[in-house]
Parts: sequence; C-alpha cells; structure tokens
Amino acid sequence: MERVLSNKKAICFFILPALIIFIAIIIFPIFMSGYYSTLQWDGIGKSKFIGIDNYITLFTNHEDGFIESIKNSVILAFLSVFIQLPISLVLALVLSNKVRGENFYRSVYFIPVIVSTVVIGQLWMKIYHPGYGLLNTFLRNIGLDSLAKEWIGSTDTALGAVFVPVVWQYIGYHMLLMYAAIKSISSDIMEAAKIDGASSVQTAFRITIPLIKPILEVCVTFAVIGSLKTFDLIYVLTGGGPVHATEVPSTLMFNTIFHKYQYGYGSSMAIFIIGECLLLTVVIQKLFRMKKA
Amino acid sequence: MKRFALRVMTAALSVAIATSLAACGSNSAGSNSPDTSAAGSTTTETSAKPSETKSATVRVWTLWTDPTKDSNAAYFYKVLESAKTELANITIEHDATENESYKTKLKTAVAANEAPDVFYSWGAGFTKPFVDAGKVLPLDEYIASSGAGDKILPGATDFFKFDNKTYGIPYSKWVAVLYCNKDLFDQNGVKIPATYDELLTAVKAFRAKNITPITVGGKDRWPAMFFQNALALRTAGAQACVDALNKTASYDQPAFVESAAKLKELVDAKAFNDGCLGLTNDESAVPFTEGQIPMYYMGNWFVGNIMGKDSKVADKVQAVAFPMVNDGKGTSDEFFGGSIEGFCVSANAADKDAACKTAGYLSETMAKLTADDGGLATWKVDGVDESKINALAKQIKDLTANAKSYVLAWDTFLEGADAETHKNLVAEIYAGKKTPEEFAKEMQKLNEKK
Repeated sequence: MERVLSNKKAICFFILPALIIFIAIIIFPIFMSGYYSTLQWDGIGKSKFIGIDNYITLFTNHEDGFIESIKNSVILAFLSVFIQLPISLVLALVLSNKVRGENFYRSVYFIPVIVSTVVIGQLWMKIYHPGYGLLNTFLRNIGLDSLAKEWIGSTDTALGAVFVPVVWQYIGYHMLLMYAAIKSISSDIMEAAKIDGASSVQTAFRITIPLIKPILEVCVTFAVIGSLKTFDLIYVLTGGGPVHATEVPSTLMFNTIFHKYQYGYGSSMAIFIIGECLLLTVVIQKLFRMKKA
Repeated sequence: MKRFALRVMTAALSVAIATSLAACGSNSAGSNSPDTSAAGSTTTETSAKPSETKSATVRVWTLWTDPTKDSNAAYFYKVLESAKTELANITIEHDATENESYKTKLKTAVAANEAPDVFYSWGAGFTKPFVDAGKVLPLDEYIASSGAGDKILPGATDFFKFDNKTYGIPYSKWVAVLYCNKDLFDQNGVKIPATYDELLTAVKAFRAKNITPITVGGKDRWPAMFFQNALALRTAGAQACVDALNKTASYDQPAFVESAAKLKELVDAKAFNDGCLGLTNDESAVPFTEGQIPMYYMGNWFVGNIMGKDSKVADKVQAVAFPMVNDGKGTSDEFFGGSIEGFCVSANAADKDAACKTAGYLSETMAKLTADDGGLATWKVDGVDESKINALAKQIKDLTANAKSYVLAWDTFLEGADAETHKNLVAEIYAGKKTPEEFAKEMQKLNEKK
C-alpha cells in the first residue's frame, strides 16, 4: 500500500476523477462568469463585448447600490468576527469544562445549523411580524409599546433585524469547531496547569486559546467569507428590501441577473465577490502568521 | 517522473476543458430551446375530413402542458377537442411547454424564424420585440373580413396593437378592484369610498378606531406598485399612462407627480398595514380574508380566495372601482388591468388564412368558456348562465361592463430592468425615501435612456 501511494503515477490516477469534476463544475464556471462579465448581455439574445465597462459601472453607478451592499456585507463580517465568534468561544470553553448536560447543550446550540435556512427565515419572519409577531407581542405585554417596531418592514431597522438571525444561526457551528479543538488538547497540559495553581480563566487565556489558534483562524476565515457571500437567509427574510436597505452583494447579483436580465453586469458582481473573498482569505492568513512571529 | 505527472495533469486539464466546452456548446443551444420532452410536450392532432380537398396543418404553441393545471388549460383542451369538428380542413398540431421555459423557447424560435404558425403570447412588453422585428402577422384584415371585429369587445386588443395594427387576439382579461369588507364599513359608520377624498376620510376614520384601513404586501413590490399605477390612472388618465409607458410622453408632468403625492398622502395617513414593506402579498391577504382589515386592492383572480372555504368574508365583500380623483383626467370607465393573454400568428405561417382562422377560433372559444365560469372575456358572449356565476364575480363583471380602456400593471408593460426600477421607485415612496417630484423625474430617466 505504501508503495502504491508513493508512486506518482498512482497518485495522479486517483486524483484525476475528482480533479476533473472540480475543474468542470467549479473552476470552469468561474472562468465563464469572468468572460460573461465582459459582455453586455440579457442572457438570451445577442451579446456585445464591452471589456471592463461592467466593472467601472459597478463603482461609478450609485443607483444600483452596489457599494452600499458591500458596506452591509462588511458590517456583517465585523459582527460575525466580534460578536458571533466570541460567543461561540465562550460557549465552547464552558461546555468543554465538563458541564453537567454537556451533550444536551451541544445539541441545542447546534440545532440552528442543521435546520434549513428557509425554515429559519420563516421562523424569524413570524418573530418579526409587525402584527402578531413574537417580538412585538412580547414588548407590548411588558408595557414597552414604544419599542414595538416594524422590524423588517422599515428601512431603519431592517438591516439590524436581518443580521441578528444571520449571526445567531452559525454560533453553534463555530462553537462545535472550537469545542472539538479544545477536546483534542492533551489532558496532561490541563492537569499540569491545574497543579501549578492556574485558575480556569488563566487556563483559558494562557493555554486553551493559544493552543486552538489554528482552529480560530479557520473560524475567522469562515465567518468573514460566509458574511461576504451571505444570501439565503437575507433572501428569504427581505429579498434585499425594503428599498435596498438589506441588500448584500449576492442578493443584488441575483436580482440583476434574474429580474433585470443583465447577465453580464450581474456576472461582474459575482466575480467581484469571488475576488473579494480570495483576497480576504489571504489577508486573514497573513494576520494570523504575523501574530505568531 | 515529475514530467510524466505534469503530462498527465495537462492531459486531464485539456480533457476537462474540452468536455466542458462541448457541454457548454450543446448547452447554449439547449438553454435557448428548452427540452420540450422534459417540459411535457403534447401533440394533439385533429384529422381533417377526408372528403374535403383542401386541408391545412397549423402548428400551435401554448404553455398549457396539462388540462388539470389551471382553468385556462382546462378551457384550452376543451377547445382543442371542439376544434376537431368545428374547424374543418384544419389539423391542429399542439405543442406545450411550461411557463418560464415557454418564454425562452418562444423568444428563440421567433428570433430564428422558426416560430409556430399560431402561438400564445402576452401583449405589450413581451410581444413588442417580435413585432418590431417583423415576425408577427397583423390580423386587422382577418378581423375585419371574418366579422370578428363586431364580436371582440372594444379596447380588448389594445395591448396587441402596435403602430395602429393588431397583432394578437386576446381571450380574457384581468382587472384590479378595491375589495371592501361591507361589515367593517357598516359597523364603523364609514362610507365605501367612491372618490379619493372619501378614501382618505375612510382611512382616517378606520385609524381613529384602531383598525388598519388597507392591507398591501410591499415585500413583493408589485402589490404596492398597484396603488401608484391606479392613482396615475385617475390623475393622468389611461391615454397619458400608456403614452408615458410607450416613451412617447414624459412621466415628469404634474399628473404623475400628483399620483405619487397622493400615494405619499395615503402612506402618511397610515392607510397601509404596519410594516407592509416586509410582508408578502400572501401574508397581506390573510387579514383581509380574516375580516380584520376592510380594504384590499387586487386583481379579479382574488375572487377565488374570497369565496374559498378558508375565507371568513365570503358574503361580506363588495368590489368597487378604484376611487376617482377630483380634477383628475381619468374617467370612471378606465380600469387597471387588461387583456394581456392572447394568440398571435407568425408572419412566416405557411397557410396564413388557416392560421388566422385557428387563432380566431381558439381565442373566441376560450373567451366563451371563460365567460361561462364568470371570468372576464374579451369577446361578446351570449347565453351565459348567470345563475352559475358567484355574486362577487358578477359584481366585477357588471362593474367593468362599460369599460372603455385598460392600463396594464406597469411592471408587465415595461421590460426587465425598467420594471425593476419602477417597482423600487414606488417602494421608495412607501419608505419615504423619495419625494413625488423625484419619483416622476427618475421615472422619466427610463424614457430618456437611449
């Protein structure tokens, strides 16, 4: 077996099928999108090559609200990194500390990740419903009528209202990643810390967190990338409305291609999202390396 | 060894690219003409009488893949049956593709000069490009010579008219009406509004009693758009709306500013349900059928929901025309809606007489079946059994009996990106982000674009 795996021919042979599929369904469409993004095309009729005009329009045309949508996705990325991940980390630290009902809590926190996004969207639509919604009913019952709002129906509150479930949904996911990483730390180290008289807070900051740094890097990357390309939950909740208040690049791209029939222009948005995500992945990796040095 | 690995990789890459290119090649053709077998194509052949010498075969394309799909589909398959005996000498070859693929398939076929002899089409924005390209046969001659002109209701062919020629024959139309819950109006001593001022009074009266006056689903945007469109019909009149939509007149004129201003006035008076921009049309309809909200402005297709078994307002609803605006240019015989679905004949039809005859027959017979069910036919239909039609459908029928002209929902009249821009602009009025003047100016930008 070892001999087979050290044979380069064999390696190529085994990698080939996956490679072909990967290229055909991921790499190739990306390049096709890149090509489409240079066209003025309605998706059906004749297309016209216009070079990088679509990209220029992306940043010069303020009516589409593309720049606004990027701003929204960046806000979401910040919320994910500075609110979602710390919550996940605290939960993971607490749960891995041999809490009673560890498995139960772990499952509960993980449920939102398993449930379909559309279901979560419907759930939160009911929570935010201006009339019979859970949130407004609750506020009214405790006498805070003035705080009852239209939530996803008003341009002032929609963005915040939509980000809450987006951030909430993946807390369990990151928690599970961190939890697994913490569990894999050798118990010798923990015991040594305990014998030296370290408090649990000290253990967490001096031992656990530094040791799970690689996983933290993965979590930060996932959180940032996931925020930049977020689509499903926002699409279900508001569709980018009201009046573009909750628009993120992906929802804008969807509307541009499938409702406005601007295939070329929409493709340039898609390419921008890909480029943005790749760039940020590299930046995040660099940041983590820097701290190490 | 390394070189060999490299070679294998290169080979793999080129194979992958070649296959995906090939896939793409066939795919681009495929996506242009969606697989008809998958979409469920049916071919119905009507055999001509053997005794007649001259016979013709007419190819017909529709989106009715299956008679059980909806009432229109059911009518169409009945018509296909009756055509066997009533359309002598003509054999109909029917081919159906499901709605969304139908649009793509038809567009491609028309562009490639492969359009069928007779095809189902939507008027205005959908048919216009075909007419512009000279692919559709004008039917005026046929309508005049066959006597169909006397049977088609006035204004019915408006959305198939381009440059004063008629390019299609519709069979039914839809119309938007203001559904009012009589019980709620009576209980609160409010008058069902006939004018805009009365509407505003009613809105304030209901709000004073803590009742939401009007329900609308602004998340879908088109229901919200209905109000601006209907107001424009009242302030500017049907002709001005159609002219502006056809880009022959400006949106930036007082009447259109007024339509937006009136809408803003309603929004400011809290006429609409709270958070309406976050609710879908379906969600917004529920409080109306539950009898909680007194007014709902929607198409006549909603009659089915009001009469449905889940509705609590089945016998409490009165349908009225959208309130008139004082000093507005619109008249009470103008309606929001229109006869948008009909049959067109290809300019390349092999046997043009037979094709026209088929289109006329399909349209007229479908209109008859529509009328029998209480729908709004675009042909004069005699001998409808009124007792079988429900009261609300009949009200709407009577209401529109004297209709002179219709203006379509603007988002069906306009194409793609323009329709999106329009709906967003209306939503911005609801959200208080645009003034009525800005609304009119930005709508006019659509007309000024090349």
